[in-house]
Amino acid sequence: MSDPAYSNVVTEHFDRPRNVGVLATAPDVISGRAGSREQGAEFRLTARVAEDRIVEARFQVFGCPHCVAAGSILTDTLVGKDLAFLRTWSWRELASQLELPTTKRGRFLILEDAVRAMADDWARRF
Amino acid sequence: MTQPCIYLDYAASTPVDPRVAEAMIECLKAADTHGNPSSMGHEFGRKARALVEKARAQVANAIGAQPQAIVWTSGATESNNLALFGAAQLHADKGRHIVSSKTEHKAVLDPLKQLERQGFTVTYLKPQSNGIVAPEQVAEALRPDTVLVSLMHVNNEIGVIQDVGAVGRLCRERGILFHVDAAQSIGKVDVDVEAMHIDLLSMTAHKVYGPKGIGALYVRRNPPLALRPLLFGGGQEGGLRSGTLPTHQIVGMGAAFALAAAEREADTARLRVLRERLWRGIQEVGQVDLNGDPEQRVANVLNVSFHGVEGESLQFALRELAVSTGAACSSGSDEGSYVLRALGRNDQLAQSSLRFSLGRFTTEADIDAAIAAVQREVPRLREIAKLSS
Repeated sequence: MSDPAYSNVVTEHFDRPRNVGVLATAPDVISGRAGSREQGAEFRLTARVAEDRIVEARFQVFGCPHCVAAGSILTDTLVGKDLAFLRTWSWRELASQLELPTTKRGRFLILEDAVRAMADDWARRF
Repeated sequence: MTQPCIYLDYAASTPVDPRVAEAMIECLKAADTHGNPSSMGHEFGRKARALVEKARAQVANAIGAQPQAIVWTSGATESNNLALFGAAQLHADKGRHIVSSKTEHKAVLDPLKQLERQGFTVTYLKPQSNGIVAPEQVAEALRPDTVLVSLMHVNNEIGVIQDVGAVGRLCRERGILFHVDAAQSIGKVDVDVEAMHIDLLSMTAHKVYGPKGIGALYVRRNPPLALRPLLFGGGQEGGLRSGTLPTHQIVGMGAAFALAAAEREADTARLRVLRERLWRGIQEVGQVDLNGDPEQRVANVLNVSFHGVEGESLQFALRELAVSTGAACSSGSDEGSYVLRALGRNDQLAQSSLRFSLGRFTTEADIDAAIAAVQREVPRLREIAKLSS
């Protein structure tokens, strides 16, 4: 069923999100977390790193359908990327792709914080 | 819409019963009922007037009132406004204190806020955690300058039934006017304005399988209660509500209320069984709370808080079900329902709450489909939102 509040891309990733879950703690697994339920979104990202590249990523989110879709698309995007990508990733392109309402921008800034936290974890451990 | 949507939002509005629609169409099509019901000088007007008066008797009968005590309005919002402004402003010389509750509909709360701007003081009672305002709370809030108490009969979000009979008695003993917003109670619970000592009672047709755009206010006649009108003009309805009477709408409301009175017991018995079936099915997902008193409630409303899921995602995941988050009137904001927060639910849990409201045309198949959707989607969303540490 179509809903004017959500684009087809959001609907597709909300109904069939990719990479839901968490990678078990391991020497090659990095993680980042940001936000809270009170802030309207809480993200947790985990990724496995091999030879300076992300080889798989997972997400969990307590948030709206846009946030679920964002976690799904981002974790797909992360595969094959390096630390520099995490350091420079911005929420804006994803917001545009998902037609994010301006009132929800804060939630994607939280996602950016989670990406940065994961970058920091990577820098600390490798 | 590519897939069927199951309507479980009867507390927001009901479909028009085909029998009501038929009565309205008959009225619209008839060659001799288009006269102005106030044009008593010719047959067309008198025919229309007869239809209006028949409907007035049908509405009065549903609440145990005399027909002369019924004033037609455009709906419950106007009825509430007329009752509150009309009573408070005309009786302000006796006092400027009003008692109500925090869980009233906005159509009561906002007029009360406006009265506060006009110099009235309003005490908003906080219900107990089950949503019920104890009559003793009302008694304790009354002051020598209290002129009016306004309390809804059935809460629109959680379906709890207030003991308006007890509140009415204590108001009557003290000579304080008592207004009841009964938008959600007709056809669901017994309403008797005499036995409940009610002075003013707001009603609407569209929650009782009647058309939108028509409502009524019961105004006590014995002894007669004066009100200040909101609308001035032709002086219809004894000067209380000017404006040409919409005959076909009134016919629809009359027919709807007659059906509500005749079929209330059968409707509620059937709906109680369906609601319990839905509640049992929902409980299987675990970590759910029923909002509102488990016993003192109407048969057709089930308001549930789901732990561990985000509200907007919950509603979107269950989009095959037409249900409400909080009140339909106030949805669209990120803020959790003020009714649920008044019951002590935190913001996040208030947002993750859904109101399922059943009605005359709800089937067992609808309920089973709703249960299946909840049992499929809630665990899925909890998995996404788990954020295990």
